[in-house]
Amino acid sequence: MTFLHNYIYYIGALGLVLIGLLIVLAKHNLIKVIIGLSILDTGINLFIIAVGYIREGTAPIFSEPGLEPGRMVDPVPQALVLTSIVIGVAILALALGLAVKLHKEYGHLDLRKIKELRW
Amino acid sequence: MVSPALLIAVPLGLAFAVPLIGLASRKAAQYVPVVASLFNLVVSVILIPQALDGPIVVHIGGFGPPFGIMLFAGPVGLFMSTLVALAGFIVSIYAIASIKTGPTTRYHTLYLLLLIGATGLVLTGDIFNLFVFFEILTISSYALVAYHGDRGGLEAAAKYLVQGAVGSSLILLGIGLLYGLTGTLNMASIAAAVGPVTSVSVFVAMALIVVGLGVEAAIFPLNAWLPDAHSSAPSTISAILSGIAIEVGLYAVVRVVFTVFGASSMLLFLAFLAVLTLLVGEMCAFAQHNIKRMLAYSSIGQIGLILFAVALASSASVAAGLFQLLSHTLSKVVLFLAAGYMIHRSGSTEISSLEGMGMRMPLTSLAFAVAAFSLVGLPPFAGFPSKFLIIRTAVAQQGALFLVLVGLVLFGTVIEGTYFFRVVQAIFFKKRDSQPARDEAPALALVPMFLVVALIIAIGVYPDAITGLLDSAAAELLERAQFIRSVLG
Repeated sequence: MTFLHNYIYYIGALGLVLIGLLIVLAKHNLIKVIIGLSILDTGINLFIIAVGYIREGTAPIFSEPGLEPGRMVDPVPQALVLTSIVIGVAILALALGLAVKLHKEYGHLDLRKIKELRW
Repeated sequence: MVSPALLIAVPLGLAFAVPLIGLASRKAAQYVPVVASLFNLVVSVILIPQALDGPIVVHIGGFGPPFGIMLFAGPVGLFMSTLVALAGFIVSIYAIASIKTGPTTRYHTLYLLLLIGATGLVLTGDIFNLFVFFEILTISSYALVAYHGDRGGLEAAAKYLVQGAVGSSLILLGIGLLYGLTGTLNMASIAAAVGPVTSVSVFVAMALIVVGLGVEAAIFPLNAWLPDAHSSAPSTISAILSGIAIEVGLYAVVRVVFTVFGASSMLLFLAFLAVLTLLVGEMCAFAQHNIKRMLAYSSIGQIGLILFAVALASSASVAAGLFQLLSHTLSKVVLFLAAGYMIHRSGSTEISSLEGMGMRMPLTSLAFAVAAFSLVGLPPFAGFPSKFLIIRTAVAQQGALFLVLVGLVLFGTVIEGTYFFRVVQAIFFKKRDSQPARDEAPALALVPMFLVVALIIAIGVYPDAITGLLDSAAAELLERAQFIRSVLG
């Protein structure tokens, strides 16, 4: 059980990544694919947070007495995740905008039937 | 002294000024990208001599290497940023004549953001910053592919977006893993920490980052989005995606493989992938009836050729690969721009509809033919010395395996020659029964095309002018210890 205890965050985050990838690959509806992308993104954000996380750690604030540097959670991954969330929102918004436009053109979002461009 | 940070800051400021300027006058907004890319071109060229003496390292915000974000303007970075600015400048002049319908103000904002993404990507020395600029580049190109809002554009943009978003997620996963392993995001610090790739986790991180970047670089199994996106976008955007975006993606792959990981054991695998990319791209291009799709597939083939030269990893072959990158950018920009006006006049993208264009639009056809010959590798155009150098350096490698690969590359080049000559023949030598009157493209479209054509001929006649820069760029990519020392001191 110590393995699970030590790595539970990584397992959960990478599980979400795999679920997201599976949805992107297997679903035919564009909205579901976009949901899959969002789950994939969330999984990666959780993974990066888990990289810098310390169990029962403290916030990295040096001005408060009693907090020791060794117990502080690494703030850099959290800053990265903040950036990545913003980027994820931009992609999500653009993807949903495209989905709305595609629905106006075709009347459905079935990716199997949207193929005007040939190989 | 000019700081390389200006190459990012000034266009970024101008990009967000475009909507405000557009409020006052929609006409004024279209000149902003011209000004911004001209500024970048001038500053990049001014900085080149300084970078040849030693790379310019800028610490953003004054924090030292392992902590702060850092710009690294060495010969490679400035070579690429000059190329980005040059192509951006040419295409933005052409856009004044050709982008007249639709939300033009937004077009110019997104176009500038695309250029900033590309410039930042080649200048940054921080791997997370690389990801951020990569996202700026890709998000603006998703939106620009769908600019016309027609069925084809929307479908291509949706495909591009889904594949690109999965790719960039993989990059982020790789960066997270790498940060967990080394505790730093600075490329030089990571390079110093990982040493040669030995452990499985470093390899997994590298594989994730290379696959993610490979989507944008259109390396063979990851290139499904490219023909759709490049053929459905407006011609200006096709030119910039084909001439800049995929090259920058390729630069990122090379930078990560060579500098960050120093993965010399992966190079043979990359060379195989490159030859595969080349053959697949050229064969698919051969089968196309749509001119823009043909050019798009030809870009895939060219990426394969560049990657092949770089993956040989001798200083001469990397320089030859960068030379090919330059000549491909110049040729492809002209090809897409010339094809754009031909398609506009004939009303169809079929190659057969271009018959007789030599009489109808002689100057545009001339520019197309010069660029096509340069891409195929005929003297006296820029494509000749670059392809010649690639073949010569590849033959100089020891081993029968390389001879086989060179044979396959030459085979791909022959296919490339065939389909380009077929198009040029259709343009100049096929007569139509009812020949339409002469109807040339406007001067604003012709002048930028012929600027590049002049450059193609100048470089083809006098390649020594740029070999000095290319050699030191190749040295920068190959000498990893030097890179680490110049950043960390």
